[in-house]
Amino acid sequence: MNEIAKQALESALNKALGPDSVYWNKDLNGNSFGWVRLADNDGLSRAAAALAGVSARLMVITAYRVDKYATYPGREIAYHFDLDGTVVTVTASLPTDEDTIPSITRWFQNADWHEREFMELYDIKVTGHPNPVRLFLDTNVEQGALDRLVPLSTMMNGACTKTLWEKVYAGTEMPDWAKGAQ
Amino acid sequence: MSGTYTLPIGPLHVALEEPMYFDIKVRGETVESLGLSAGHVHRGMESLAMQRNYLQNVVLTERVCSLCSNSHPSTYCMAVENLAGILVPERAQYLRVIADEVKRIASHLFNVGIMAHLIGFDSLFMHAMEVREIMQDVKEGVYGNRMNLGACTIGGVRYDIDAEMNAFIRGKLDELKPHLEEIYGIYTTDPLILKRTTGVGVLPEADARRYGVVGPVARASGIAYDVRKKTPYCTYKELDFDVQWDTKGDVHSRALVRLREAVDSVSLIEQCLEQMPEGPTELEQFVAIPEGEAVARSEAPRGELFYYLRSDGSDTPHRLKWRVPTYMNWEALQTMMTGCQVADIPLIVNSIDPCISCTER
Repeated sequence: MNEIAKQALESALNKALGPDSVYWNKDLNGNSFGWVRLADNDGLSRAAAALAGVSARLMVITAYRVDKYATYPGREIAYHFDLDGTVVTVTASLPTDEDTIPSITRWFQNADWHEREFMELYDIKVTGHPNPVRLFLDTNVEQGALDRLVPLSTMMNGACTKTLWEKVYAGTEMPDWAKGAQ
Repeated sequence: MSGTYTLPIGPLHVALEEPMYFDIKVRGETVESLGLSAGHVHRGMESLAMQRNYLQNVVLTERVCSLCSNSHPSTYCMAVENLAGILVPERAQYLRVIADEVKRIASHLFNVGIMAHLIGFDSLFMHAMEVREIMQDVKEGVYGNRMNLGACTIGGVRYDIDAEMNAFIRGKLDELKPHLEEIYGIYTTDPLILKRTTGVGVLPEADARRYGVVGPVARASGIAYDVRKKTPYCTYKELDFDVQWDTKGDVHSRALVRLREAVDSVSLIEQCLEQMPEGPTELEQFVAIPEGEAVARSEAPRGELFYYLRSDGSDTPHRLKWRVPTYMNWEALQTMMTGCQVADIPLIVNSIDPCISCTER
């Protein structure tokens, strides 16, 4: 484990976000992993600037639904950084579908593809992205495909649940027989 | 007239028959800028992974890519093991290293072989591919398959090596070593190779850091970062090897880094065969995966492979995200290609060892 890198990350993040902002754990090989949960999304820019200041590297960004089956709204975005072998994950919350997240391409140019990917797959609005065009899916597939579409296996496994029919009939009147499903 | 011409290249050629589209602006024979268009075969595998249980995902992740097919399940398993606090038996950790290094040799030889083909040195291409067959024989003999090894499972491995198999692998490595030396010698001295690859597709260190490139692409540009050394996993900290790197950052240095790594991989496999203790190769019983999140990384043939796992305590992941090395290396082509000659485009593309199946997971 690289103690110097760990201390540099912790010091930079504490300065940007306040004391004790990082929780640490280790794998069985002794490698350190830091975890930060942002109190508000303004903190993302402060965290990104601080991490760029210590020459951290953005490795990847992961977006996901807070509830896997989308029974309630809310998404989270986990930004994974590396400094000389030590990994820090900074997580931002978007409690409603209207929430936006600032781009971090100003500090990390390589955030470009990652942000475009979650814009496309989870329909998350990113402010200040220099090139917000589609990255992957054909243009005839609507934005937010992973976020919105019901996978076949969910359909097959949950064919009698109310949750499923709420999704199928989203935005329209649900038939009575579907309302009674458990 | 601006004198600038748009040269559409792809999606079905340039270095390999996988669909990626390049929008290249040229002035005469010189490339001025590059745009990339992906998504022609995007498979939605991350979405699939959220619908399969933890063991089924071992099989699924092995199918992200063929050339680094062992790196995916082994790194996925590490993420699960990190989350659940599973201690993998030591023998299994050695066996994972052996599988990864066998794949690394085959992958690197494939890349440098294709490079020879693109240069027009087809006898060397055929020789490199023939040499690679030695490792394909190892894969077939030990694992029963030439590409997907099916070696990993959560908490261990699904194969073992007995004394007879140990001798077989050692024999194949002995057969391979002089060929690797010979190919390395050709790559360092042959005038045709030097003329076509030296000073071509240069990626300076500052740009490499800006794009966050990984693997041999980063290491050839002066960033001596190898996950096996930086954050050791399995038994790499018990093994003796150097991080192979260079400072020239051109097509040639990327090829040499790969060839030197292939030589190191032979030594790593030999060390594993020598040091590997007796003992179990997998868990006695499966462990429930708790709620939480975990990260795991490994050094795949093309560079750092990253897995993020989020669990809600059920038998399927809440989210499984992976980032493949090629994903980080594509955009650096903009720097490598600007100012290059049209004839060098395939060589430069090949030098990042691009993997569309990884990118379009």
